[in-house]
Amino acid sequence: MKKKFGKLNVFLLIFLGITVLYPLLMMIGHINVSDIGKLVGSVGFQEALKNSLFVGVIATLISVIVAYLLAYSINRTNIKHRAVLKLCITVPMLIPSISHGLGLINLFGARGIISSLFGFNIVGSLGIIVGSVLYSFPIAFLIIDDGFKYVDTNLYESARVLGLNFHQTFFKVTFTYLKKPLFSAVFAVFTMIFTDYGVPLSVGGMYTTLPVFLYKEVIGLLNYSTGTIVGLFLLIPAFISFMVDTFMRDYASTSASGRELVLKENKVRDVIFKIYTYVIILSVFVIIGSFVYYAVMDNVLLNPVLSMKHFNYVISNDVGGYLFNSLVISGGVAIFGTLITYFVAYVTGRVRGKMARIIHILTIITLAVPGMVLGLAYSISFSGTFIYNTFLLLIIVNIIHFIASPYLMAYNALQKVNMNYEIVAKTCNVGLLRIIKDVIIPCTKLTIREMFAYFFVNSMITISAVAFLYNTKNMPLSILINTYEGNMMLGEAAIISLIILMFNVIIKLVIYLINRREDRRKYNEVTYESF
Amino acid sequence: MDSLEIKNLSKRYGKKMVLKNINFEVKNGEFLSILGPSGCGKTTLLRILIGIEDITEGSIYKDKKDITKLDPSKRGMGIVFQNYALFPNMNVLENVSYALKIKLKNKEKAKREAIKMLEMLNMKEHLHKYPHEISGGQQQRVAMARTLVLNPDIILFDEAMSALDADNRLKLRGELKNIQKKTKTTMIYITHDQEEAFSLSDRVMVMNDGEIVQIDKPSVIFRNPANQYVKNFVTDHLVDKVSSIQKCIGTDI
Repeated sequence: MKKKFGKLNVFLLIFLGITVLYPLLMMIGHINVSDIGKLVGSVGFQEALKNSLFVGVIATLISVIVAYLLAYSINRTNIKHRAVLKLCITVPMLIPSISHGLGLINLFGARGIISSLFGFNIVGSLGIIVGSVLYSFPIAFLIIDDGFKYVDTNLYESARVLGLNFHQTFFKVTFTYLKKPLFSAVFAVFTMIFTDYGVPLSVGGMYTTLPVFLYKEVIGLLNYSTGTIVGLFLLIPAFISFMVDTFMRDYASTSASGRELVLKENKVRDVIFKIYTYVIILSVFVIIGSFVYYAVMDNVLLNPVLSMKHFNYVISNDVGGYLFNSLVISGGVAIFGTLITYFVAYVTGRVRGKMARIIHILTIITLAVPGMVLGLAYSISFSGTFIYNTFLLLIIVNIIHFIASPYLMAYNALQKVNMNYEIVAKTCNVGLLRIIKDVIIPCTKLTIREMFAYFFVNSMITISAVAFLYNTKNMPLSILINTYEGNMMLGEAAIISLIILMFNVIIKLVIYLINRREDRRKYNEVTYESF
Repeated sequence: MDSLEIKNLSKRYGKKMVLKNINFEVKNGEFLSILGPSGCGKTTLLRILIGIEDITEGSIYKDKKDITKLDPSKRGMGIVFQNYALFPNMNVLENVSYALKIKLKNKEKAKREAIKMLEMLNMKEHLHKYPHEISGGQQQRVAMARTLVLNPDIILFDEAMSALDADNRLKLRGELKNIQKKTKTTMIYITHDQEEAFSLSDRVMVMNDGEIVQIDKPSVIFRNPANQYVKNFVTDHLVDKVSSIQKCIGTDI
């Protein structure tokens, strides 16, 4: 088996070498050492770093607390329609972060619907914090919600028998199991917020954070060396979280006693959490509602009448072309990304060997590289080559940007598939590719579809990895939001956000419906129920 | 004529010798059990016989032909795993006919032979059920049918019944013995269960720490254990078992 996969191994290794290692090394090589002191000593940088840390820490704390309470509500209260609620909670993941900022501007900006009534506005650090919470809490929710599943429910019964109070039970049982997911959530969310430039760009105003600083250095001043140094700072939290995640002990009970926890009756708890959950979900839909309102109103404050003005403008401005670009990129990422990632996971999960270990590490380290930094590295490494300015490069950079999560999905799924199938196939004289096609792929098809959706949705909403790489011919829709918003064309920006949301909902819904029809017991396959 | 001959076989992982100078023969149509505690090297030996693990030294002959370096698919051996390794996306009939279809390039014939084999194993009513819909014992019958239908010269069993409950094991043991009598297939059965090894086999090979300690007929091993290890691991164990049954029943048997 190892021999047959030798060529594929080498191919994957070369591919990851060129797409992961080479750009990062090139980028580091690009640093002008004398710039380091200059940059670190500059007031602008220090200010941006301080701002980034401030909003990052505050927003992360709020985001994880909001998410924990939601996960508690879904898992530990008698709330109804859990599946639907979970889908609603994850809706923010289907629009770009910049759209969340846009929604806040719509509602609470200098001329926002609500803020103009009260004479305040949210632009600045507060806007960044609220916007960051809005788009990051669903991620934290998914991580913590998943963590709840692995808490050994027998222990709650033991705790009850032993007469432990709520406080003791929480720290002795719940926290022991949820420690790792909670830390993962904290680090994942902080990394996201710390490296995101969509929200600060839209509601930050004059409040500059590190990613915006980097963006301005590179796009505005073409100062690649300084940009790279800032990029290295952005790598730090991701790198720390990567280490913590790798080395922290996981208490998740692997046997995860299948028994459903019998909840104590508590009406007050149920009502409080029900209201809380619905309020959070409502706020998500208020943001989306603001898009609709801005899209159909001539001018929200001065002339609030229905109008096709914004639609007409967007159409005359060739929105179809940008949509086409986005679909080519996202479709390409989804198809090729899923294919490559599946083979990577097959090699590392089922063939193994030394080369597979290197491939595994190369794939996983992408987790620590923010999209912006990756985009910058690509821009430095590939400008002037034949691939620059092509759709192909945009597709590849997105595949690498998003590869870690679908890779882990595939890796876990393939590990769960009986390891003896290949041996059975060998003794029965059935070819390896044949058994992969006839058995291994059918056994993991739920995961394959989830991978496809993940790649597609994230490529639709990303602005980070592609920011330095697109040109006028292949510019995706998501970038257009930034352009429109910069020109205060909020109605147009809202329409673009809605188009992206619509396509993502369609893809997710289709995958969700197909996967729901499958008999999960047959494959014993666990997938994320997330939307 | 000897159907399988293992000569001076050794296997090393790094510095650790997991198999030390193994020599034995298996006759055509014989049922040989390889008995030993976990970690004694029996599973490594099985993987070497089937051809998915390289060897450090030695050679394997089948019908006097050197097959040491031969691809697993050309060795004429089949394997049945403890966890059955049935294809979950195929029903019972498809599981059994899958490889045969590819081999014969004739779907109808493959199907007919698969049904015949499944009938022999009393699985006729379950042809269109999926693996998750049948019991462990039934899954093991399907796994056996899937191997038998390809008509291999030798079938290797890897702890094939240790996941079953006692009742099913006893039943399946009898069936396995019958099938062996009918098909005259050579069978090599890996197990850590003394009773299973002794009740099924023509000969038992006791292994410990990568070496063969004794290989002989069950009755001979029982009466004349080669050393203290065999006496403890095999004889004493079986005597204990018999005496505990005697206690239960309260009479001499």
